[in-house]
Amino acid sequence: MTDGWNIVVCVKQVPDADDVSIDPETGRLNRSDAEAVMNAPDYNAVEAALELRDEVGGTVTALSMGPPNADAVLRVAVGMGADDGVLLSDPAFGGSDTWPTSLALARGAEELDADVVFGGEETTDSSTGQVPPGIAAHNGWAQLTYVEGLEPRPDEGRLVAKRDVEGGYERVAAELPVVVAMGFGENDPRPAGLHRKIYAETDFEPETWTAEDLGVEDEVGLAVSPTQVGGMDTADPVPREQEVLEDTEELAEQIAEVV
Amino acid sequence: MAATSDSGVDIEEYDDVWVFVEQHDGEVASVTWELLSKGRDLADERGEDLVALVMGEDIDETDIPQQCIARGADRVLVADDPVFEPYRSDPYGEQFRHLVETRKPAVALIGGTHTGRDFAGRVAVPTHAGLTADCTELEMEDGRYEMRRPAFGGDALATIICPEHRPQMSTVRPGVFPAAEPDEDRDGEIEDVEVVVDESETMTEVLDREVGDVADITDADVVVAGGMGVEGDFEPLWELAEMLDGEVAATRDAVEEGWIEPARQVGQTGKTVRPKLYIAAGISGAIQHLEGMDDSETVIAINTDPNAPIFDNADYGIVGDLHEVVPELIEYFEEHEEAIPA
Repeated sequence: MTDGWNIVVCVKQVPDADDVSIDPETGRLNRSDAEAVMNAPDYNAVEAALELRDEVGGTVTALSMGPPNADAVLRVAVGMGADDGVLLSDPAFGGSDTWPTSLALARGAEELDADVVFGGEETTDSSTGQVPPGIAAHNGWAQLTYVEGLEPRPDEGRLVAKRDVEGGYERVAAELPVVVAMGFGENDPRPAGLHRKIYAETDFEPETWTAEDLGVEDEVGLAVSPTQVGGMDTADPVPREQEVLEDTEELAEQIAEVV
Repeated sequence: MAATSDSGVDIEEYDDVWVFVEQHDGEVASVTWELLSKGRDLADERGEDLVALVMGEDIDETDIPQQCIARGADRVLVADDPVFEPYRSDPYGEQFRHLVETRKPAVALIGGTHTGRDFAGRVAVPTHAGLTADCTELEMEDGRYEMRRPAFGGDALATIICPEHRPQMSTVRPGVFPAAEPDEDRDGEIEDVEVVVDESETMTEVLDREVGDVADITDADVVVAGGMGVEGDFEPLWELAEMLDGEVAATRDAVEEGWIEPARQVGQTGKTVRPKLYIAAGISGAIQHLEGMDDSETVIAINTDPNAPIFDNADYGIVGDLHEVVPELIEYFEEHEEAIPA
C-alpha cells in the first residue's frame, strides 16, 4: 500500500432532469430534447475520490458504462482531476437492469485492481441506489452507503466512514476493497481546472472495454435482467381545491377545520 | 466465482410473502408494520403465507415476534446472534441470502430506509432475484405481481415485473402504506433459524452509533414544511408545528443549505408523508417535492409568488411572506386555543 490506493469512481451519463417531461397527450416521455449530463450525485463521488487520493496517494480512474458518447462524463471527471477513465461500452449491455449493470462495473473495478470504488448515492434518472451495493455484492466486498465523510486508515488497510442512518449517524470501518456510495450534497465538488479541462476535452482518450473484455458477454443485457419495465403511466395529479384566500384569519380557520 | 445467468429458475418452487422486520436496539421501524399490513393483503390474494424475518441479538427477550403475528404474520423466522447487532450490510445480507436460497420465498418486501436500501442488493445479487427500488404500489394484476414506482421525478409511474426470477424483491417507501391495528388474538408460529454468519467472516466494524430522538415525520398528523423561502430561519415553523402538535419538514434545497437535518426531508430523495394537514411554507412546489407530499389529505400553501406551482397542488393558499403569515397564524391560535387540539 506504499504507492497509495487504486481508487475507481463510477459515473453515469443521464438526461438532464430539468429537461425531461411527459407528453400529456401520449403519456410518453420526452427525453430527446434533454441534454446529456453527468449524474448530479456523481460530482460528490468524484470529489470524495479526489480528496481520498490527496490523503493516501494513488490514482483515481473514472469508470462508466454507456454508449460511445458517454465518454463525455469521463471527460468531466478527468477535468476535475481524475487520472484516467475507462468506458464499458458494448451493444451487449443494452437493456441491463441493476443486476448486470453492477456486474459489469464490478468486473471493471476488479480489472482496475480497485482498493476503493466510489459511486453517487443514486442516479437522477432511475434513482434505484442499487448499483453501488450491487458492485460490492458481485465482488464479495464491503460497502459503505449514505456516506457523509471518510477517514482513511491506510496502515490498517481500512476505510472508516461516517454514514447517515435514520435518526443519526454511525461510524463504520470497512476492510479494503470497499465500495462507497457518497451521500448527495455531502461535499463541495471542485470546479474543473482550466488546463485539466482542456486536456480532458482534447488529448485525453479513454480506454473502451467490451463485455467480452470483461468476460461477462453471457451475463449482461436485457435477457438476463431479472426485472423488466412492464409499462409506464403518467401519474395523475391529486385533485385539490386550489382556493387562494385573502387573509391569514381565513387560512387559520381552514387549518383549524382540519386539525 | 462466475455468477450464473439462470433463466431456468423454477418459479413454481417459490411461494410465500416475506417481510423484513427492521429493528435497531429493539425498536421496530414503523415501515415494518406498514409492510406487514400490505404483505398480509398480498399473501391473501396469492393464497400464501405471510412470513416475517427478524434478525438481531436477544430477540427472544423482546415481544417483536409476537407483535409481528399480531400485525399479520403467519410465521416469524428469528435469526438471533450478536453478529446482527448493530446492523451491518454483510452479515444481514448473508443471512437473508441463505434463508432465501433454502426456503424460496416468492415475494420479499424490505423498507426503503437507508438500512433496507443498503442491504437489499446483497440478497438480490447472489440469489439473482429481481429487485425494484422505492416502490409505492404493489399489486396482483391477473395473477401477475406488479411493483410500481415513481419515475422521472414523479411525473410517471413505472410498472416493474419480474417474470422469470425469484424472489421478487422490493424496497418500499416508508409512509406509503397504512399500518394495520395489531390483533393480539391472531395465531402464528415462531421459529428460530440457523445462523450462518460468523463474526470472523465480517468485513465491517461499527465503531460508534449515535441515534438521537429524531422525530419520524412519516408518522405525524400535521407537517409544517419549509423551503427556500424560509431563508434560513425555521423558528416560526417550529413554533407553529409545536402548537399544532405536528412535525417540521423541509425540501431538499433547505436541507442542502444546512438549515435542517436530512431526516426531515420530504420528496423524491427524502421521505413520503401522508399527514392530515401539510403546510408548505416558502415551497415553490417542484415535482420532486410534490411526490413526497401528494398523499397529504389537506395541503395549505404560503408563498410570495402567486404563480408558484404549489398553489395548483394545494387546497388552500395565501400569497404572502411566510415570515409575516406564519407569526400571524401563531397569534391567531394563541387567541383561539379552542380551535386546535390541546
